[in-house]
Amino acid sequence: MISRLLQLFRAYEEDPSVKLVILKGQGRAFCAGGDVPPVVQNMVQGKWRLGADFFRDQYTLNYVMATYSKPQVSILNGIVMGAGAGVSIHGRFRIATENTVFAMPETSLGLFPDVGASYFLSRLPGFFGEYVGLTGARLDGAELLACGLATHFVPSTRLTALETDLCKVGSSDPSFVSTILDAYTQHPHLKQKSAYHRLDVIDRCFSKRTMEEIISALERETTQELDDWSLTTIRALKKSSPSSLKISLRSIREGRLQGVGHCLTREYRMVCHVMKGDLSKDLVEGCRAILIDKDRNPKWEPRRLEDMKDSMVDQFFERVEEEERWEDLKLSPRNNLHALRIAAKL
Amino acid sequence: MSENVELRRAHILANHILRSPRPSSNPSLTPEVCFQYSPPELNESYGFEVKEMRKLLDGHNLEERDWLYGLMMQSNLFNPKQRGGQIFVSPDYNQTMEQQRQISMKRIFYLLEKGVFQGWLTETGPEAELKKFALYEVCGIYDYSLSAKLGVHFLLWGNAVKFFGTKRHHEKWLKDTEDYVVKGCFAMTELGHGTNVRGIETVTTYDPTTEEFVINTPCESAQKYWIGEAANHANHAIVISQLSMNGTNQGIHVFIAQIRDHDGNTCPNVRIADCGHKIGLNGVDNGRIWFDNLRIPRENLLNSVADVLADGKYVSSIKDPDQRFGAFLAPLTSGRVTIASSAIYSAKLGLAVAIRYSLSRRAFSVAANGPEVLLLDYPSHQRRLLPLLAKTYAMSFAVNDLKMIYVKRTPETNKAIHVVSSGFKAVLTWHNMRTLQECREAVGGQGLKTENRVGHLKGEYDVQTTFEGDNNVLMQLVSKALFAEYVSCKKRNKPFKGLGLEHMNSPRPVLPTQLTSSTLRCSQFQKSVFCLRERDLLERFTSEVAELQGRGESREFLFLLNHQLSEDLSKAFTEKAILQTVLDAEAKLPPGSVKDVLGLVRSMYALISLEEDPSLLRYGHLSRDNVGDVRKEVSKLCGELRPHALALVASFGIPDAFLSPIAFNWVEANAWSSL
Repeated sequence: MISRLLQLFRAYEEDPSVKLVILKGQGRAFCAGGDVPPVVQNMVQGKWRLGADFFRDQYTLNYVMATYSKPQVSILNGIVMGAGAGVSIHGRFRIATENTVFAMPETSLGLFPDVGASYFLSRLPGFFGEYVGLTGARLDGAELLACGLATHFVPSTRLTALETDLCKVGSSDPSFVSTILDAYTQHPHLKQKSAYHRLDVIDRCFSKRTMEEIISALERETTQELDDWSLTTIRALKKSSPSSLKISLRSIREGRLQGVGHCLTREYRMVCHVMKGDLSKDLVEGCRAILIDKDRNPKWEPRRLEDMKDSMVDQFFERVEEEERWEDLKLSPRNNLHALRIAAKL
Repeated sequence: MSENVELRRAHILANHILRSPRPSSNPSLTPEVCFQYSPPELNESYGFEVKEMRKLLDGHNLEERDWLYGLMMQSNLFNPKQRGGQIFVSPDYNQTMEQQRQISMKRIFYLLEKGVFQGWLTETGPEAELKKFALYEVCGIYDYSLSAKLGVHFLLWGNAVKFFGTKRHHEKWLKDTEDYVVKGCFAMTELGHGTNVRGIETVTTYDPTTEEFVINTPCESAQKYWIGEAANHANHAIVISQLSMNGTNQGIHVFIAQIRDHDGNTCPNVRIADCGHKIGLNGVDNGRIWFDNLRIPRENLLNSVADVLADGKYVSSIKDPDQRFGAFLAPLTSGRVTIASSAIYSAKLGLAVAIRYSLSRRAFSVAANGPEVLLLDYPSHQRRLLPLLAKTYAMSFAVNDLKMIYVKRTPETNKAIHVVSSGFKAVLTWHNMRTLQECREAVGGQGLKTENRVGHLKGEYDVQTTFEGDNNVLMQLVSKALFAEYVSCKKRNKPFKGLGLEHMNSPRPVLPTQLTSSTLRCSQFQKSVFCLRERDLLERFTSEVAELQGRGESREFLFLLNHQLSEDLSKAFTEKAILQTVLDAEAKLPPGSVKDVLGLVRSMYALISLEEDPSLLRYGHLSRDNVGDVRKEVSKLCGELRPHALALVASFGIPDAFLSPIAFNWVEANAWSSL
């Protein structure tokens, strides 16, 4: 599917009769993410390069979308997780609905939020991005709009009408699409228990420099009030792979300071190391525990955060030197580097 | 007739609506293709691993730096703005002086809450000090006022308590300083005395009946001046004053005085006024202070070097007042180190913006009907910016080397650190001012816009050339120290050791008469010229002074007379010290593209320094032909560094958000649609 999307997107960019691209899912998901077990199979069979090639194509697609010269409208009417975020958030317009469920759940699997998440998560307000990327927290449509991951919110009943109006647009100028979407968009209230109401706590804790300090800060918060949210958050972090947490944190922190191309190049290095499996086998174990055997009791290695040393984290960010013919992901600069329209809240 | 006019008009209107191509009825009106912004990345590539070069340039604590950059980007307090499709963070310098001061304080409290200042005073050791330097440097990249305020509070007030004070002072003040319960300032400079600290006129006496010191400002020239934080925020001050015990002036001593209560009201017997609006750094509230026989407890004397006992007896572990004064001033060296490094980061910022701009801005075609040429493709533009880039690189290595020596300092190394830090502070701050001016000019009118940063930085950093020691005085200090070392070694008939003078123990270098390209780029040749220049100038300087001294003139007076030789000598010393640090860094690298490019940069540093220095021709170290060859080689190096320009500035590690709109899509940043 990834290679087909890449082909189509490239063709549409050249085709003058295509003014904009609308992406939507079928059924109850927009896109629930990549199919992890076959990737892990490749890993286990020593065919990590097949996995790497897949990610190469995927990140290239993400980059094409992030720098696309025509508006992309993704209609997130359902589950959008992992790779699903990768093919939508980089587009210019993202429509949330009351059915949207968003998450980046990679750390619980032994992976890390990739597909350019180090770019878009780091640009969310405050340190909400760290919270979303490290805990795999689920966000609904209203939260997506509030934090800027979605640009608009349209109730599912009005989607057909919206699509009809969008199909009438005769120009690639994004202001035409904007005008239509602005007319349809609503501003739903956040639910009372929304994590988005807790930005002050999230900023206090998730701004800490290290994973260990983040968790201590959260533990200090729980002593203030007996609170579901902080306990759930700590639990989610403690269940996740320590190596995933540390490389994800560094990835988001570095991504904050880099453009989308650099982010994807860096993530490609990281994912190749994960595929190779010599720095960590956590993805294999995570896949087994969560997706295959479903015992939900993964045995991470290392088990404790303190045992995941900085030097071990560093290695995920290096080039893959020992392999012949391995190359950094080369994304040729395109002229349309637009900032992610997450800046709505400025 | 009129029907045709109407018909033609209708056609034209229809064409507007249908946007079909114009009929070529008027061939001279061919539409010009509009200038399209192209990011530098489209045409340039990285010839080496930028990450590796950054590690070399920043030297230490990269992760902490990136964390702090991130903290600043994620808060509205740091004034994020969208321009040309990107977010930039930069203070709003259009705010009033009062507003800028208030928001600087708020930014400090935000960073305090995030734990940025943890351990800045309570942790010791080289690692803690280096981390502090790194975070301090990043603050300066955002806003020098922020850095200056932190410097006053932590490096001046805080370090004074730490190094001049003893246990009782540490326990009482250090943690509270780190937590900003106490807000400190450092009252040393007076209206009448700045660089000449020893001449300050504030006088403190001792009252044994009440066991109090009494601080007094005897005349207007004695008012404390330029005291950062004093105008609004500080509640405590380090007061540097003459101490007069039983009618004898014991010299400069260091006291703590409270100047405001916890509600912010000025304390009795203290008067405070504002220094007023400045040409830059209006985020810092500089104040003036008068003491009207202010009484402070005896314990408030910071007593690590000298003390007054309860009965009024003055004691000191250092009998000689000159040496005692030196001991007082030694801890202030950290100021010179941080100033030198801030200067280089400012130069990096200016160059990153100017060079990126010059890789996307075009002007004039060389061929008729050809496209306009990129600014950095002009040899003259290269010649303006690339040598400054090479100097900035070299000085970056130099200041990192100084930082390392400083954090590992011992009493034995203190003297050398004092001399080298003085030379580096002067040369690097002057270099920054020159670089900023060139960068401002190189970006033309855009440099006038405050939000483009390059021009505005000039006003912000100008003070660096005169505070913490006027640059000219500091340079004289360098040559006086070299003179003293030379005379002392010759007198004792000992070989030279220290201050990098060891080369004088070897025979005088002989330079080749013909200077080919490979000779000029050879590190051994470069070292020889720099050593020869230093040696020759030192010998000339000492012989001039010694000869006239023999005729009965005072040494001090002769130093004044020979100030030009003295300046040439200090410059030679400092430039050689800088060259040595780049050579050392280059030597440690494994063969590869980073080492190769650094070699080009090093040669450019060496050769541009020679090209710009008249003393080489004046004293005959090089012939006219030699100097011509050096100049030609500099031009060649410009051409060879040109393809690396983008990667070289990317290696500064300054995130895009901290540069400015003209470093990116300056067309879109100025578009009507973005208003």
